[in-house]
Amino acid sequence: MTSPTQTPASPPRDPVDVIVVGSGAAGSNMAAHLAEGGKRVLILEAGPARGPGHLISSTLYARRVKWTGPPVLDEGKNPVGFVFNSAYGTGGAAMHHYAVWPRMHPEDFDMHSRHDRGLDWPLKYVDLAPYYDEVQQEAGVSGDATKEIWRPAGAPYPMPGVPVFPQGSAIARGFTKLGKSVAPLPIAVTSTNYNGRPTCLWDGWCDSGCPIGALANPLTVHLPRAASAGAQLVNDAAVTKVLTSADGTRAIGVEVALKDGTRQTVNAKLVVLAAFAVENPRLLLASATAKHPQGLGNSGGFVGRYVMTHAAGLVYGLFDEDTRPYMGAFGGQLVNQDSYPKTTHAKSGAFGSYQWMIAQAVKPNDLLGISTTRPDLFGPALHDFMKRATRGFAGMTAVCEDLPVADNRVTLTDQRDTHGVPIARVTHTTHDESVALWKASLAEGKEVMRAAGANEVWTGPQGSMHIMGGTVMGSGASSSVTNGFGQLHDIPNLVVAGPGLFPTSAGVNPTFTVHALATRSAEHLLANWRQVAG
Amino acid sequence: MARRDFIVGGALLTFTLAGCEKKMTPAQARAAEVPFRTLDARTVAVLDALGEILLPGSAAAGLSHYIDHQLSGDAADSMLMIKYLGVQAPFTVFYKSGLQATDTLARTVYGKAFPGLSNEQASALVTKMSGGQVEGWQGPPAGLFYFVLRSDAVDVLYGTRAGFEQLGMPYMAHIEPPSRWGE
Repeated sequence: MTSPTQTPASPPRDPVDVIVVGSGAAGSNMAAHLAEGGKRVLILEAGPARGPGHLISSTLYARRVKWTGPPVLDEGKNPVGFVFNSAYGTGGAAMHHYAVWPRMHPEDFDMHSRHDRGLDWPLKYVDLAPYYDEVQQEAGVSGDATKEIWRPAGAPYPMPGVPVFPQGSAIARGFTKLGKSVAPLPIAVTSTNYNGRPTCLWDGWCDSGCPIGALANPLTVHLPRAASAGAQLVNDAAVTKVLTSADGTRAIGVEVALKDGTRQTVNAKLVVLAAFAVENPRLLLASATAKHPQGLGNSGGFVGRYVMTHAAGLVYGLFDEDTRPYMGAFGGQLVNQDSYPKTTHAKSGAFGSYQWMIAQAVKPNDLLGISTTRPDLFGPALHDFMKRATRGFAGMTAVCEDLPVADNRVTLTDQRDTHGVPIARVTHTTHDESVALWKASLAEGKEVMRAAGANEVWTGPQGSMHIMGGTVMGSGASSSVTNGFGQLHDIPNLVVAGPGLFPTSAGVNPTFTVHALATRSAEHLLANWRQVAG
Repeated sequence: MARRDFIVGGALLTFTLAGCEKKMTPAQARAAEVPFRTLDARTVAVLDALGEILLPGSAAAGLSHYIDHQLSGDAADSMLMIKYLGVQAPFTVFYKSGLQATDTLARTVYGKAFPGLSNEQASALVTKMSGGQVEGWQGPPAGLFYFVLRSDAVDVLYGTRAGFEQLGMPYMAHIEPPSRWGE
């Protein structure tokens, strides 16, 4: 068996069945399932090799795990925050994700039909539900399905809900006083020993990457499975172009630039792009040919369009009691989804869903640290705040749905990276109804904090969480890039995986849905192998 | 490697002193007067003075050596907060021009270099910078520059095990920050 962190320096010369571009949540999932289905799988990861030893418990060292690939121009009125929200190296962004894994709701899948907003998915919740069940079992999710009154139908969680620390209890008091309920936040972190993995210590180092196997990142779950089934992972292997047949109907492999500066062509029967929501469209656009002059999969002009990012509704409070805000998971302790119905805040001009992630573990510094919640303070006042907040801080974050807007998009610039590939520009300006939703979340959040008894209540700026869209799935090339399995309408053996497929962003975190879609897609590709891969 | 090396600072970096590489915290590098590699003396003086206004104690904690060290290495290994803020590497121009603009602002308003200002004068300028609207400011956006430098000061003082302990926050590391830069 090959360890996922001991990898060859270059790809094989002979053809493989499947090339997977990217080793994050989507890529590692697809690689594991396709390799277990008997396919010869090669994972090409542009970034460096990373193992558990790289996941150093430090907000400073965590910054070295984030994106350091080719520059991305992050523009628009509300940039997507590409560097913070992505990563570079084995495991991709999922190496430092916070593993908040709620399900999308049935109403997320046909929003256009129901509300004349956004886009419809080419599948329904019932199509995805069995895959949510399967993934939560294999990756391990902690939660309490009974207390989560908003939860769509599905199997109960395989592990009990995460513990609640004083920060969570303090905020929960506010929800309760206002007649709202809370439930343990569903997270893919171990609340008990699980399949040989130890129970989480609740030390809040998720953003640096979890090295002990408590959090379901690719190193812990899918990459070892992929390796056991014979998949090969090559690091420092930047795919520069997807190669297509002369008639343009099929992908035949990729061109890859290696660390030593050489280029190599690798042929495959199936190519899976799992390089995240910006790099996937960048590669499709940069792989244009005479048969596909606007880029691969772009006959309808939708490659790069409908990029979305959740607006973060950041609400903070300072309490008299010792909230021990550093305890717990970085994603939080409790959830509330009372504002999930799309028109809950219609009176405020808002549209869409949001959920609260309540009582997230904090550190003193960094983008989500205590000090950054009060950027106006400096000097002795900042010292004083830091000391008070270490004892009494509490915070929660609304995950606010971002309506898909066609002009929020990835395009190529005329600058090129070191391999000669045009670098990407991603432009994002939040839809007015989504901004109104974010504002509504702040209003509710402040009310909750006051009801909880906070002495001081304040809010943060409109942050950007998660990146979705850019290669959206749909019913045909006239309105989307791929079908419901991620296959390009124009080139069916070229498959996209990851949150880039989402036609809408929902009001929940994306990674669980990324896994459910990838598992479903892999199953479909294996079942229809001859037809898809020839 | 001695366990002690792991624990001292939480952000030990490798500095070069008298031709030898030596593991030190930024505070130790400052005390040992390790030569700067990217920033000149005048820029360092402004940086130290600004750091003391943003978060008293950060200059002694080695803010200038920390930033100089980060700017002198490979941008891919950078641990600076600025990475997250939509500014493209290399970041040296951002820091140098921001510090120059800070000093120029002091000379324009008070007729003195920034390090020569009283606490009240310097704090008044920093308040202006934090608001983002500074007349005649010639550098990166003043509000962003303030945010970045303030974050750096917090990183150096509170982002390490020693800083956590000052606040009474348990560090609870799985893997302690390594003692040698680049490992």
